[in-house]
Amino acid sequence: MMTIEHILAAVGVKSTAKTPQLTRATVTAEQLAPLATRLVSEFHLPLSLLYATQESPASDFGMHAVFSHVASHGWLVVSTTVPFSKPEYPSLTPTVMAAHWYERYMQDMFGLKAVGHPDPRRLVHHENVPEGTYPLRKGFAWNTKLDHADVPYPMHHVEGEGIYEIPVGPIHAGIIEPGHFRFNVAGERIITLEGKLFFTHKGVEKLLEGKTPMEALPFIERLSGDMAAANALAFCEAVEAAAGCEVPKPAQLLRTLLVELERLTMHIHDLANMGGMGTGFSYVAASGFRIKERLMRLSMDLFGNRYWRGQILPGGAKRILSEEEKKQILTVVKEATEEMQSVLSLAMSSDAFLERLETTGVLSKAAAIAYGALGVPARASGVDIDVRRDHPYAAFRSMPDLVPQIITQTAGDVHARFTMRIEEIKTSMDIVRRLLTEKGSGGVLVPCLAQNGSGLGAVESWRGEVLVAVRLKDGKIDRCFPRDPSFCNWALFGEIGPGNIVPDFPLCNKSLNLSYSGTDM
Amino acid sequence: MMIIFAIIQAFLVILVAPFLIGWVRLCKARLQGRHGASPLLPYYTFLTLMKKEIVFSTNASWVFRTVPFVVLGTTVFAAAVLPLLTLEGISPLSHFVLISGILALGSVFLVLGGLDSGSAFGGMGASREMTIAALVEPAFFVTLAGFGLGSGTAMVSLMIGNGVVGWVVHPGLALSLAALVLVSLAENARYPVDNPATHLELTMVHEAMILEYSGPYLALLELASWTKLTVFVLLIGSFLLPSTYLLAGVDYTLVGLGMAVGALVVKLIVLGGALALLETSIAKMRFFRMQEYLAYAFVLGVAGLIITLIV
Repeated sequence: MMTIEHILAAVGVKSTAKTPQLTRATVTAEQLAPLATRLVSEFHLPLSLLYATQESPASDFGMHAVFSHVASHGWLVVSTTVPFSKPEYPSLTPTVMAAHWYERYMQDMFGLKAVGHPDPRRLVHHENVPEGTYPLRKGFAWNTKLDHADVPYPMHHVEGEGIYEIPVGPIHAGIIEPGHFRFNVAGERIITLEGKLFFTHKGVEKLLEGKTPMEALPFIERLSGDMAAANALAFCEAVEAAAGCEVPKPAQLLRTLLVELERLTMHIHDLANMGGMGTGFSYVAASGFRIKERLMRLSMDLFGNRYWRGQILPGGAKRILSEEEKKQILTVVKEATEEMQSVLSLAMSSDAFLERLETTGVLSKAAAIAYGALGVPARASGVDIDVRRDHPYAAFRSMPDLVPQIITQTAGDVHARFTMRIEEIKTSMDIVRRLLTEKGSGGVLVPCLAQNGSGLGAVESWRGEVLVAVRLKDGKIDRCFPRDPSFCNWALFGEIGPGNIVPDFPLCNKSLNLSYSGTDM
Repeated sequence: MMIIFAIIQAFLVILVAPFLIGWVRLCKARLQGRHGASPLLPYYTFLTLMKKEIVFSTNASWVFRTVPFVVLGTTVFAAAVLPLLTLEGISPLSHFVLISGILALGSVFLVLGGLDSGSAFGGMGASREMTIAALVEPAFFVTLAGFGLGSGTAMVSLMIGNGVVGWVVHPGLALSLAALVLVSLAENARYPVDNPATHLELTMVHEAMILEYSGPYLALLELASWTKLTVFVLLIGSFLLPSTYLLAGVDYTLVGLGMAVGALVVKLIVLGGALALLETSIAKMRFFRMQEYLAYAFVLGVAGLIITLIV
């Protein structure tokens, strides 16, 4: 595998800054698309993030493409400048498909036009937002009241004999977040499927600006309630990378533990939700949710909230667990996973149940790579990615033998995503056991006050890779883009849905379990 | 006399229908490890819905308003003439072709109600209901024909009313009975064909059709579907173990009636529990496997018919 230096030399670009984790390079806006194309297709560096920045109200825009270099556990950040007077650049999407949502996102939030984008419709802004609203530009005040507009948003439409459209949502029969799904079907068979999200934009990115990392943390933790620990850790890792502070080992152990406990909780939830609610196997649902509740109550007992929240801080953790508490965690987690295994073994011995999962919602490996899929859906389709191994964080960084064997499958159907989670519960359980016995010396929290600088933080949440980019100016956040794995995985619906029948869609949906809130920040 | 008993029977079946639903839900909850609500909850649900306002879609025509009455009417008819409580019922009206037709009429109107409001879900539910109905109908027909052959009559009430347990005399009818169970599950939108408890609008069949109904109209449709389930459960109960067989010798007296009512409640409790157990222990079937499921029902029905014919 080539090092980042070799790759940069091969494409004729000079690096401007280099740390073990991060290599930076600068190119012109015209060069970015061809460079990204070569990096992705020739050197197989997946595009992990693409985001924009602005210094001051009338300054030019910065645009940053982050590529993942697995062999060196490093990131390559290629930056460019887009002039304020003419905010246009050649689109990456025609050749680097993973850029498609990022570019539409920047178009809505910064007004950066991706020339040649195959689908230049709005992404974040819905019909009521007037043209020319660019909330993340520095000149836009967070409390601006918008006029009520009616900008058309044409959805994909198929015409033909016997083809009809089913609009679903944004208000649903169950208690889920708002999302609109448009099916074009021939009978029950799905021909096209398109999602429209971003109905409850909270403006978190804007609100983060001007806050210190400590002030910003509660916002980050609440981006997506079920991913509080992973988001907090990724954010803290980014801030610590910018500040260059070293987190003591006991805190690293706790941070890693929390993210793994969150994974166990949510994988159990997902298994119950897919296996139970998705297929209508109500015994699995009722049992699984009860078992998940035990883990949530464990969090309540230990930390005073049900979502593993409030323990991870920039520079360390809030406190260290006592031996008693460690024992309690081990007991509860062990019982919960064992109980879940017995429920699952019952489910897996039912042919009718397996028949629902197998061959439903197939995601091909090629599509997973092209869309830049992350987490369980990617691994279930044979894409070998996991941040714990590729960009080790917290205790995985200091204890290389803690990094689990990454499991992948090839079928890419709902069944693969289901069994992936069963396997990942086992690996997480091993990691938890190991973390609870491991001892480290040192404090729990070091001062971590960065003044200026920028950093990236990546964490393998239960949904997949969370990547947070932070830039600090005078100790305050100048720009922070927390990228939820759902942001990359939402578009997979268009790939997974067609060919299936409408009543199987909820099962496909549950097998991805994407965050509306984490995407619509 | 017959008519009075038929009216009493219909009234009684409607009265116990909400209890059956509540009982099945309670059993399901307990089997899943949940506490569950009182089995009397559906009565309150019905009364609550009766008090609520009705909202009509602007696209809805008179069909939409007629549907709840037709659907409830067909169900009440079945509840009156089928041999559920009384020994014979109004036999000329319980011809099995008529019963199938009346139930199909209810389905057709339910489908029209789903289509009439012009919503996507109504149409989706309607198309699924029609697919299922087209497959259920022949299986139901063949099954009842099997029973008819066994007992030598086309009147459903007499198929049971002749004082013997049909499948003991004609073992082939055990297959017909199995077919009747499969048909009943499909006809009543239960597992594995439909999930009566789902919140997933894309998977609904029956619920999707009545999604646009509200208030008293919804109450009537709910009552109709509860009554229909009760009718089928009791019909299976009657074929399985005719009350006439238990009550042989007890004539149309108050004592006899009391015993028949007791038998009816016992049947509901036992079969309701069995339904809950079934719905807890299996996953819902993929929609495109439905034709296989109903083909099994049809084949079982035909096998029952042929065996009865030969043996």
